[in-house]
Amino acid sequence: MSLSTTDDPPWEGLDGAERHAVCLTAARAGDRAALHVLVNELTPLVWHVVRGQGLNRPAAEDVVQTVWLALLRNLNRLTEPRALAAWLITTARREAVRVRSAEQTGASAAPAEVFDQMPSTDGQPEAEAVRDDRDRRLWSAFRRLPRRCQELLRLTVLAGRARYEAVAEAMGMPRGSIGPTRGRCLDSLRALLDAEGGSR
Amino acid sequence: MNSTSDDELLDQLAQVLERADPMPADLLDRVRFAIDLESYLDVEVARWEHGSALAGVRSSAEPGSVTFTVDDLTVMVSFLRTQRGYRIDGWLAPAGPHTVEVRIDGHGSSTTTADANGRFVLPDVPRGVTQILVHLADNGRSARTVVTPTLVL
Repeated sequence: MSLSTTDDPPWEGLDGAERHAVCLTAARAGDRAALHVLVNELTPLVWHVVRGQGLNRPAAEDVVQTVWLALLRNLNRLTEPRALAAWLITTARREAVRVRSAEQTGASAAPAEVFDQMPSTDGQPEAEAVRDDRDRRLWSAFRRLPRRCQELLRLTVLAGRARYEAVAEAMGMPRGSIGPTRGRCLDSLRALLDAEGGSR
Repeated sequence: MNSTSDDELLDQLAQVLERADPMPADLLDRVRFAIDLESYLDVEVARWEHGSALAGVRSSAEPGSVTFTVDDLTVMVSFLRTQRGYRIDGWLAPAGPHTVEVRIDGHGSSTTTADANGRFVLPDVPRGVTQILVHLADNGRSARTVVTPTLVL
């Protein structure tokens, strides 16, 4: 560990959207370490956005890479560096939907509104993937939520409170409705958990 | 009455998401490799043709073929196992004297040029995390580079 302060990168000590905005600015100037910080810290978010759309794991791995490659092309076109997370979420979601629709061509693809309300277990690990008993019950209940709830919960858990704006934009919801909608999703989750607990 | 608070439930959910559906361990390495390109300008991301990446190379131990596309270019690539690695036979359309580069993580890259019929061959490519790039020659004008996500060969 270095004690030097002059060599610290400009994002040192910052966090959240501010840290990532500084990294993005540095990456534009050709700083690859800055780009790697963004990849390391924001790929989990991109991963869960894509998985929330029901893509299987190999397809999700491709989409995650596609999103980062697309960022390279748009590095100098993002007008607002602080909006990077929103851009990543929106791009990942759009690309995942595109891949999913391509996979469903020919099959009877449900309209988006119906799709959003269906419980979503496709492409997701079985409850047995989780060892701990409490976790297994929670995961099993989560999988029975409507897809839209699953997505909203994944996104808000991962993006953090600072990025409600980004989540709202990506999901096409007014920012003010994120909190209440999430509250209702959590109530449904609790009800599913209780129902399951009662049978034990 | 089981009344977990919203915050507690969200914390538990964050943990369970991480345990039940974690990112693949090598995904960060593959992303960093995929974007570690000489130039970011004029990079265009290619997409696998429906199912081809899954049905072909990755899902089986035996090599196969993949097709990737951008708006105005289609590239078919087949992989044939050799003693040390792979022979790559490819075909791109519409044909043009485009430069095809295959990058392998830790092994640099191999380059060839497509012939008048759009065919190209790389006889011996090492195995590993692989990315294919097509540098489009556009009447001498340095044009776009088409890049793929990585394949694990």
